[in-house]
Amino acid sequence: MAIKSRRLREIPLAFAMLGPSLLVLITFVLYPLGKAVWLGQQTCDVQGKNCKSVGWGQYTNVVKSDQFQHALWVTVKFAMITVPIGLALGVGLAVLADKQLRGMRFFRTIFSSTIATSVAVASLMWLFLLQPSVGVLANLGWLHNIFPVIKEPGLLNDSGTALWSVGISSIWANLGFTFILVTAGLQGVPKEMHESAYVDGAGGWMRFTNVTLPLISPTLLFTTVVLTSRAFQAYGEMDLLTNGGPIPQDSTTTVTYLIYGSSSIIKNNDGLQAAVAVLLFVILLALSALQFRGFGKRVHYGS
Amino acid sequence: MKTPNKSRLLLAGLTASALLFASCGGGGSSSIIDPGTTKAPASGDSGAPTEPPTTVATPLASLPACDTTALDSATGTVNITFWHGMNGDLEKALTALTDEYNASQTKVKVSLENQGGYEQTLDKYLQSSQDSRPDMVQAPEYAVQVMGDTNSNVPVGACVESAAYDTSDFLPKALNQYFTEGVQWSMPFNVSDPVLYYNKKVFEAAGLDPNKPPTNMAELRTMSQAIVDSGAAAFGLSLDTGADSGGGWFLEQWFAKLGELYSDNDNGRLAPSTKVNFDGQTGIDLLTELQALVNDGLAYNVGDNASGQDALLKLADPKSAAAMTIATSAALGTVLTTVQGGLIPGITTDDIGVGPMPAPGDAVAPGAIVGGASLWIVNHDDPAKAAAVWDFISFLITAESQSTWAAATGYVPVRSSALEVGPIAEKYKTDPRFKVAYDQLSQVADTPASLGAILGPQREIRTLSARAIATVLQGGDVAAALTDAATQANALLSAYIAANQ
Repeated sequence: MAIKSRRLREIPLAFAMLGPSLLVLITFVLYPLGKAVWLGQQTCDVQGKNCKSVGWGQYTNVVKSDQFQHALWVTVKFAMITVPIGLALGVGLAVLADKQLRGMRFFRTIFSSTIATSVAVASLMWLFLLQPSVGVLANLGWLHNIFPVIKEPGLLNDSGTALWSVGISSIWANLGFTFILVTAGLQGVPKEMHESAYVDGAGGWMRFTNVTLPLISPTLLFTTVVLTSRAFQAYGEMDLLTNGGPIPQDSTTTVTYLIYGSSSIIKNNDGLQAAVAVLLFVILLALSALQFRGFGKRVHYGS
Repeated sequence: MKTPNKSRLLLAGLTASALLFASCGGGGSSSIIDPGTTKAPASGDSGAPTEPPTTVATPLASLPACDTTALDSATGTVNITFWHGMNGDLEKALTALTDEYNASQTKVKVSLENQGGYEQTLDKYLQSSQDSRPDMVQAPEYAVQVMGDTNSNVPVGACVESAAYDTSDFLPKALNQYFTEGVQWSMPFNVSDPVLYYNKKVFEAAGLDPNKPPTNMAELRTMSQAIVDSGAAAFGLSLDTGADSGGGWFLEQWFAKLGELYSDNDNGRLAPSTKVNFDGQTGIDLLTELQALVNDGLAYNVGDNASGQDALLKLADPKSAAAMTIATSAALGTVLTTVQGGLIPGITTDDIGVGPMPAPGDAVAPGAIVGGASLWIVNHDDPAKAAAVWDFISFLITAESQSTWAAATGYVPVRSSALEVGPIAEKYKTDPRFKVAYDQLSQVADTPASLGAILGPQREIRTLSARAIATVLQGGDVAAALTDAATQANALLSAYIAANQ
């Protein structure tokens, strides 16, 4: 009885403590989100004014539209390319650099350096490398004998290779981020466990799969979720490298590009943009939940 | 051995969510664009004659007034902000002119605010409330209808009238580009148009006269054949399908050259357009001609031109170069600087030729429509501010300023008197390549057709025509591609009219 009334008395205090962050959350997250959901069933003039409700059917129309379905499929493919490869490379480099050797700091700096490179800079660099007429890669004789596509029409201009090329640039740009996270995870793995496994006769690969991976699994889960949501929200690469093209296949028109892209046909339609953005939010939410549920049970958070 | 399952589970999860959404599709194709249920176009008869204008011409009297004398009665300095989209050398030139203006008088002080580019400037302007908008804004040529529909401006025409400003020596085409429904909305400032760039060395090697570039596609075809046959270059022409160039803007240019209307209601200049015409015979003939050039190995399609330079860079390809390309005249300065830097071995700046944009077929049609951007006065219900903006605009368009501006940037001066004074007089004499773009704008009498179209969703429609051209250059059916693009464009136009009236 006494405990209950004390709890009741603490409620106002709890709200007073939570107040500031609640206020921030409502003002900057919940209110805009609600507003976006509402806008998604409206149609507005070019200034985003005089909005009229056209019904929640606008959401179903968007889901049914060729443009949205295509963009979603491109986005899923983009995530399927960038997340596993990016994660594998990040883990690989982090494990390689997790040795107490002379000069390892140098390699760690190199491996993590892409985190300091903005998407714009990284994309421009790849654009110059891949430019089919005068770019460096396109004019390496042996390379273009093996892969003629690098010269004609160019990796970014071919509907079959464009998404992969943008994906590679994105993997490269995100590698530093993955590397740092995994390195931090690896430093939490106690040496003794490796040593005892070694004494038990476990080889390098076995120690990696049975000791290292389970112990860094929380980091891997976190990294996977973040990389996936980054992949679903990738925009700068498409904007700078391909403009969502090559057209008319729209090989790199992802959902975010469909919302903001300079060559998107809904770029001045606030209602449709909001509808697509809300749908992207729902998909990402579902996907993150799926990842946490799916892998969460397998993740070892220690005892 | 749990780990391999993780990526498989991820793949499964991703695929599942994709399938979930894809399965909602329910067969058949549907577009994200709803042509607007509230105000559907009168009928779907594409064969019906053009409907009469749906709105009356907006008279100047119903728009905000401009009193250019208000600046004289203002106390103290009037501060005005100017949003622009000029970068690099263009921004330097604009800053120099603005500094000159600020130093020349004390009544007005202009602050430049670079918004990053045309698109960013326009998007930010459209999304800002009237209070947070600047006093003056630079908007691209494709935004005339959109800007007019914001009802946020003092039309420049009102100031021209108030100041009894003499525009008799202006290029009519430059002014008329920004004149619709009876209103001079804005003042042309930076004007460009597409020209033909070509490699004179290749022309010589192919036995062609390096001083006689092709003036139409028929000549271009013959010359390209000679170039390819002689092995002087791998291709005659480098084409692109970018919305800002070969895929959109050039299509409008070609229609204007032929004197054909690109859209109904006199190219949107009498009343907002409801329908585009590029799916007609003119469009079909044009694209069939381009497709044949590519199919016959005479032209090379560089694709989307996402970097904005791919078509031009094809001229510098060390392995399979093209001899010619079409690109904006505003690139001439950059092209010459890049060539000077040694991009193409053995080629000097003198080997780069510039000719008029080739006309379709065997037509003799030297004209072009105006590209670039214009200056808009933003209405803040403050006569002194509007008068101050007008004062700055009238400084930017003096013959001297336009001469300095054009010489520094490669843009075309907006008035003929600018050709007599300052640096551009010298430049046009010593390097006639810079004058080609000017001549294209001064040659043909203005009709609604030769001025080009003004459309609400113009940028989006250029994207659609670009898709059609890309389809065609990759071997697709011409009529089907154009019909598809036109259907979507017409839906965009109806949706625009429904949302903005």
